[in-house]
Amino acid sequence: MTELNGIDVTFRICGAAGDGSLAAGSFLNRAAARMGYHIMNIDLYPAEIRGFGKSVAHTRISDRPVQTPGSLADCLVSLNDLHAITELDTLAEGAVILYDSKPPNYVEEDEAIAGFIEPGMIGYGIPLGELSSIATKSARSRNIVALGALSGIFHLPSEYLRDAIRERFTRKSEEIAESNIRAFDLGLEYANTRLVKADAIDFEERVPGARDDVVIVSGNEAVARACLDAGVRLYAGYPITPATKIMEILAKELPKQGGVVVQTEDEISAIGHIIGGGFAGKRSITATSGPGLSLMSEFLNLAVMAEVPVVVVNGQRGGPSTGLPTKTEQSDLNIAVFGGSGDSPRPVLAPADVTECHKLTVKAFEVAEAFQTPVILLTDLFLANRVEDITWPEGDLAIWGRYENRIADPVAAEDFKRFVITPDGVSPRSIPGTPGLHYPATGLEHDERGMPEYSPENHLRMTEKRYLKFNTLRDAWPAPVPEGADGELDVGIISWGSTIGSAREALEHLHTTDMNAGGLFPRLIWPLHEDALKEFSSRSRNLIVAEGNYSGQFANMVEAVVCREVIRITEIPAGPIPSERIIEVAGGLNR
Amino acid sequence: MASEHYVIIGNGVAANAAVDILRQGDPDSRITVISREFFPFYYRHKLRFVISEELQEDQIVVRPPAHYREQNIRLRLGQEVQRVDLKEKTLYLKHMEKVHFTRLLLCCGGWPRIPEVHYTYRHHFTIVKGLSHAREFKEKLAGVKRVLMVGGDLVSLRITETLLRMGREVLFLIDRDSFWPLTLTDEIRTEFAERLTKHGAEVLIDDEITGIEEVAGIEEGTSGYEVTTRREKRISCDLVGAFFGLVPNVEFLFSSGLDIDRGILVDDHLQSRNPDVYAAGDCAQIWNPAINNYWVSIGWENARLLGEVAARNMLGESATAGAPKESALDYEGLKINTSWWHIYD
Repeated sequence: MTELNGIDVTFRICGAAGDGSLAAGSFLNRAAARMGYHIMNIDLYPAEIRGFGKSVAHTRISDRPVQTPGSLADCLVSLNDLHAITELDTLAEGAVILYDSKPPNYVEEDEAIAGFIEPGMIGYGIPLGELSSIATKSARSRNIVALGALSGIFHLPSEYLRDAIRERFTRKSEEIAESNIRAFDLGLEYANTRLVKADAIDFEERVPGARDDVVIVSGNEAVARACLDAGVRLYAGYPITPATKIMEILAKELPKQGGVVVQTEDEISAIGHIIGGGFAGKRSITATSGPGLSLMSEFLNLAVMAEVPVVVVNGQRGGPSTGLPTKTEQSDLNIAVFGGSGDSPRPVLAPADVTECHKLTVKAFEVAEAFQTPVILLTDLFLANRVEDITWPEGDLAIWGRYENRIADPVAAEDFKRFVITPDGVSPRSIPGTPGLHYPATGLEHDERGMPEYSPENHLRMTEKRYLKFNTLRDAWPAPVPEGADGELDVGIISWGSTIGSAREALEHLHTTDMNAGGLFPRLIWPLHEDALKEFSSRSRNLIVAEGNYSGQFANMVEAVVCREVIRITEIPAGPIPSERIIEVAGGLNR
Repeated sequence: MASEHYVIIGNGVAANAAVDILRQGDPDSRITVISREFFPFYYRHKLRFVISEELQEDQIVVRPPAHYREQNIRLRLGQEVQRVDLKEKTLYLKHMEKVHFTRLLLCCGGWPRIPEVHYTYRHHFTIVKGLSHAREFKEKLAGVKRVLMVGGDLVSLRITETLLRMGREVLFLIDRDSFWPLTLTDEIRTEFAERLTKHGAEVLIDDEITGIEEVAGIEEGTSGYEVTTRREKRISCDLVGAFFGLVPNVEFLFSSGLDIDRGILVDDHLQSRNPDVYAAGDCAQIWNPAINNYWVSIGWENARLLGEVAARNMLGESATAGAPKESALDYEGLKINTSWWHIYD
């Protein structure tokens, strides 16, 4: 996505596991963010755990905030030609390919990426291995040589890249750091003295505005940080892609705050643990993916029925079953909203970006406690793993205290009704151990005191109670604010979760045309703000719902509310839906 | 036949004529074209219009890469063959990739020739053989007022016309022995000189360079050359265009075991001593029983015919490269047969 008037360049650094492509990507991200550029990075790697699988660092660098990682790359760095050849169809027109011009041995036919460079592409051959060996006595720093070459070819300020490299390697030793700096400098020098620049990408040594407060964070890291900020006391989980990173971070950090991390034997046990934690009045969370959420269904119902606050983060990936463990998808919406026996309402939140991964995780705890319910936070692999430049929210976390966390007054101990019917459906709860405020907590239908009670009248009253607090939450949560044009719209775009970025980018483009376009992007996915959807629909001549699943799970929900057929962009491209796809569909509509 | 992999080195007219015949005659075969130039097949004689900016580069393209994709032909541009192993039937490319063939056609053309006597000055010369040279020539012309043309070949006359039309001063140094591929008679030399002069060029006859020194250019802030000649003339100019014709591009074949003289020695079926290797175009030195000697073709049409002959033989037919088609340089009514050569220094 090269923009010649500004900087907007997408890189793909591709190698086999161990080639350092992801490390090179992280240096590039860090340096660019510190220069003041906006970045979005996603690391791509295969599902199979083996030594030589392909790994790709995909990084977009822009002088404007970016909503998506960009679908096509402007520059491909090959650290392994066999893998990089499979990336050729991800390249934009006029893309640059940087490759090792002196590999140690001849390769067989069609195994060298240089053999695929065609008119319309620009190839820069650099003796990556040879220069690395000169600098570090091994070919392992080819990635660093390549970074130096990128700095030289595209005039990326080199000192920022050197700093990023030095920071990382100094942790190992000063000597390793300096040898890698030598590798970087050799790549830079080679590009400056031996290559004739033939491409149009030029950072012009510009530093838009150096930032010290910026952090480079993934969605998973933001969720973990939010857990720490929100005062979580218990994390229980079973490892699964793409959620494991959250547990890895909390395993290190949570005990420092007096919390506990338990790696359980499976996901059923994990949710069982956190229901115990939530029941005990401690903020508790688990993180999983589709297969894990499926296993958790019954315990989620227990949390609904027993009105226990817990947070479940679900990093969606391709399904069903084990599915596509390392490919993103938004196809767990149905199970998040509807999965479970009986009428089992539970709030579902979906952040749009990394910053919102933090904000909505904090918010999820607040909602869980205030409405005494399990809350599901739907991220996805793309959002969980992608890296953005953000600044952490300021200390007061303004969303604290918006909802009341109702704890029963011990004075009421004489006639404590844990599930008392209230005007908003929320009953004061007690913390176990509070004298006189003990009660039966059960998955059976119960009366206001918690005693099992199966009469149809009671079941209706308690079901209405559970839905009443659900509706109270919807009314308390700010309705989504339409973005883009006011008034009558040629096209209205509705989306959710990580696809919001693509939809927003599409809107930006449509606003440069004569098309009147607007967007509505709810973060509270369930319960839906029906009035907001109806109002937006009534203004939209064409209504698109864009989401990363096959069956149009959100489109189905929206259609039921707006009572009209929507135009579905429901794709499972193994990556985020490109904004170009939404633009293409919107551009072809009758107005 | 489905297992054949025809590899053609070169992407000029001979190569492309051969490709058409091969694809037609063997639709299921693999065909790979490898070219050192990173540009699709183009009209070389139109390079001067690129220099004068009368044409854009894409306007001189004969065949875009899409054509090859449609024909299921693998086009490898900007790739250089460094070595040929005939025993293994393998080409070794500069970027460290091996390409295997069953039959090989060499259409690797020629390189700009610099006579030994002028070799010392090669770094000061600007040449025009391919598109990259034309680009370079065009860029250099930006600050140029006066151009010295040395040597002289068929291309140089047209470039001189172009330069004059672009408002540059041209001094043409015609040396009898270096006007490739001919040895000029005094009469022809005089006739050339008259015509060049009529167009506005200054002409020096029967003289040659004895020294070139880089100095400040004619225009302030530019660099240029001070050229001295055998007749003790001192010539100031901004650019020295060198046009001494071509030598077959065969260096990468020296270790292959093929018979190489000036070009690749082939019989009149264009087959080398290796039955699976053929050559056509500027790089082939072709046995002609009629003159009992080898000859090298010149010109677009001859190259095209040779490409076709080679391809037919690669397909198993028996075609012969006959006497080259006559083609004459017609320069203002001065006609000279320039279709082939067989001797030079």
